Amino acid sequence: MITSAAFVAIMLVGVPIGLCLCLAGLVYIAASGNPVLFQSYPLQLFGGVDSYGLIAIPLFILIGERRHHAAHRRHGDGVRRLAQGRARLRNILANMFISSILGSATAQVAIMAQIMVPEMEKKGYDKTFAAGLTAYGGMLGPIIPPSVMFVVYSVLAQVSVSDMLIAGIVPGVILTVMFCLVIALMGYVYNYPRADYQTPRQRVMTILRTSPTLLIPIVIVGTILSGLANATESAAVGAVAAALVGKYWTKEFEFSQLPQMMLRSAIYSAIVLFLVAAAAVFSWVLIFGKVPQETAGWIQSAAKDPVSFMLICNVILLIIGTVIDGIPGLIMTVPILLPVATDVYHIDPRHFGVVVVINLVLGLLSPPVGLCFFVAAAVTGAKPGKMFMVTLPFFVISCVLLVLLSLYPSLSLILIK
Amino acid sequence: MPATRALSVRHMVVRASSALLAVERVALMGLMYLLTGLILVNVVTRYARFPIYWIDESAVYCVVWLTFVGASAMTRLRLDFAVTMLTERLSPRHQKIAKVISTGMVVVFGIALIVTCMLWMDPIGLARAGFDGRKLAAETFNFLYTEHTQTLNWPTWVLYLTLPIFAVSMTIHGLANLLEDLELVPRTPPKGFALSELDGVN
Amino acid sequence: QAKEFRLGLITPNGHSWNKAALKFGDDLKAATNGRLTLTVFHSGQLGNEPAMMQQLQSGALDMGFIQAAELGSRVPHIAAINAPYIVRSTPAVAKFVRHPAAVKLFEVLPQETGTIGLGWGITGMRAVFSSKDLNSLADIKGMKLRINPTPVYRDFYSSLGAAPTPQVFDAMANGQVDGLEADLEFSWNQRFDKVSKVILQMNAVFMPMAAVVSGRVWQTLPAADRELIAKTVKSTLDAQIDELAGNEPALIENFKNAPIPIRQVPPGDTEAVIAEFDKIWLPKAPVLADLRKVGATL
Ligand code: NA
Ligand code: NA
Repeated sequence: MITSAAFVAIMLVGVPIGLCLCLAGLVYIAASGNPVLFQSYPLQLFGGVDSYGLIAIPLFILIGERRHHAAHRRHGDGVRRLAQGRARLRNILANMFISSILGSATAQVAIMAQIMVPEMEKKGYDKTFAAGLTAYGGMLGPIIPPSVMFVVYSVLAQVSVSDMLIAGIVPGVILTVMFCLVIALMGYVYNYPRADYQTPRQRVMTILRTSPTLLIPIVIVGTILSGLANATESAAVGAVAAALVGKYWTKEFEFSQLPQMMLRSAIYSAIVLFLVAAAAVFSWVLIFGKVPQETAGWIQSAAKDPVSFMLICNVILLIIGTVIDGIPGLIMTVPILLPVATDVYHIDPRHFGVVVVINLVLGLLSPPVGLCFFVAAAVTGAKPGKMFMVTLPFFVISCVLLVLLSLYPSLSLILIK
Repeated sequence: MPATRALSVRHMVVRASSALLAVERVALMGLMYLLTGLILVNVVTRYARFPIYWIDESAVYCVVWLTFVGASAMTRLRLDFAVTMLTERLSPRHQKIAKVISTGMVVVFGIALIVTCMLWMDPIGLARAGFDGRKLAAETFNFLYTEHTQTLNWPTWVLYLTLPIFAVSMTIHGLANLLEDLELVPRTPPKGFALSELDGVN
Repeated sequence: QAKEFRLGLITPNGHSWNKAALKFGDDLKAATNGRLTLTVFHSGQLGNEPAMMQQLQSGALDMGFIQAAELGSRVPHIAAINAPYIVRSTPAVAKFVRHPAAVKLFEVLPQETGTIGLGWGITGMRAVFSSKDLNSLADIKGMKLRINPTPVYRDFYSSLGAAPTPQVFDAMANGQVDGLEADLEFSWNQRFDKVSKVILQMNAVFMPMAAVVSGRVWQTLPAADRELIAKTVKSTLDAQIDELAGNEPALIENFKNAPIPIRQVPPGDTEAVIAEFDKIWLPKAPVLADLRKVGATL
């Protein structure tokens, strides 16, 4: 109780979340009358990141760093050209492939909104619609590989990273297709501008121009599925592939940029990894204080079967997810909910991971307080309230997908060996 | 006289923080190159049927060091996930107070971590035991200095050193940030960090 | 007086060791009318084994089921129990870990690790699951083999000519290694047979676990409680050992019904392997000679 109160109080003052978790851990130990735990505190912090699975994070971020760099340099080309054709669909696809893999949907929306929204506005789209769409495009990033959120989850849940990345494919594709359908439908109903006519030759060229970025998720999934490398190593292979594509194909990368790129990747990795370490300390004190056990008892009395448990989880996670970004959200909820899911309701941890990740990202986009809208609004000047209304269909279909996932775990497990 | 001394202490803190940041910058680049290299070597040697046994463990400890060195640097660079929905609605004056409190918490954590590291690593006890890890273990049940890692067979305390280093550097960076927030020293822009478009996201 | 103990272990819920831990808690509670209770922290919830050891040493954690690999990486004397061919079947393992010679290994624990050993629990003899055909020890030569990274296993599998790596287990399913070694219970739960072409029962090594109590905590307990705890742990572990050894024939039957062959290493010449291994390990752990003598009689 003291721990949670301390945690919420300092979090609201604007103390970084990682630090809040660390400080709450210290407060708990001081209050528990078990001061000998102070001696174990540094080692728990160390142990939180002492894990093979986490090696993938700096490498994934390195790939992402290269692609951000590319997206930024090709001002008026590349990404922007993507925005010119069928802007609506391209927005979704671009977000899917040039996705930020920081595990931060807010960061991704901030970046994409800056690049995409002015372009769509020029093409005659309503600014609110463009900004809202960009925010929803940000939802796909963490579900399609490479995904730092899945890596963090797999470490928290002690499941295979490769399995997690593969488990996200079917739900990610379903979501993309459903988004595209809604966009097409809305375009028809509201008569949004159509794309300029393209000859078949022009279409092929557009696809070829965007394919280098398409290549990266394919290289990653391909190396995992073919047995060439595990998820971590696939990230290193992907980074090399991204560098070579940038140097010799799209020609927007020079090796002299490498040191700065390494530095930025290292810092952004540290942001994520320190959160993981902090979460390890925090969940250790929670577990020592038997909080998950008590929560389990409470949920068990409310949910009689796995499906109702999953639905309760959906609601809890959506609410938490409205104000908390992806990775911090994972770190706070997984240590408490996962043991209940697997031990009491015998839910596959990989399936549970897919549901948790989608929930936390959707939370950021849920009316009326989803954080991503405020970020998109701040960057583009659109009105958040109006954005909620315009994008309501996306919210509804995302919720439909979550219900489907809760009912049919095979949607995420089908591709796993 | 006391005024100038206070001034020189302030400048010493900021200078120490800048020097630390410069070291951290080089260390972070080095660790990132090392990590990428280790993983690629692992793929290649495994396919050559000569897997190197200690690479996995080295890569893991590389990431651990990267975490804490980077966490220290990002403190000085003021990059982190924080919840700002409440503070951004405050008046500028209250915002400043919130900022000082939140920076102060960095210092509080840094010092608390120094204390827990002292309890854990017990440098005084170790000195008393004549820097003999086994003797310390016999006297205090603290076996820290007798342990080795599984595949590299390095003494683990060498790897754990990243934590006390992190605790000290975090405290110094926190103090430097606090002095800036209290407007006791002018803001020093960090050198050599071209942080991209993500600045200011959080 | 009343006390609530905390016991940590690395294995997931449902593992034979976890069932034993829960039963130990129930028995302790029943024997003391609820005065002594136990909370079990499974799946490494309190940290990995090194972190649990640190908490045992500081007294934050009361008890742990710690694998011999972890203790052996700290104390070569304990690592001797992981040496190959001390015994050659799971029933022999069941007898061996209760033999005074194996229990005597615990004598070094307080001095070397700050914990008190109360007894061994077991897993069965380990087998190699391979994606290429295997008939004998000689076929292991040149394999990329995922192993438990304890130094004893590394030396053993290296001496067979394998290239051991401490990868994660999914390396096998993903094709980054040619094989892995594990005990049959774990392998059945993970269904390693589905990603293998052949199973080779090595009958060489096994991975026991030690039930340990924090030395600091032990000092504070009244003699009667210590005796009761030691007795309860022992009876729980006895049951765990008998059950695990008793279940092995059914487990082997499961694997026989799987579509891939399960083979035994021909009992021929292991003298050379043993000699090479002992050349490295006898100087580090002289007790190995005694363990071999005892093992040969079982
Ligand atoms: Na992604
Ligand atoms: Na969220």
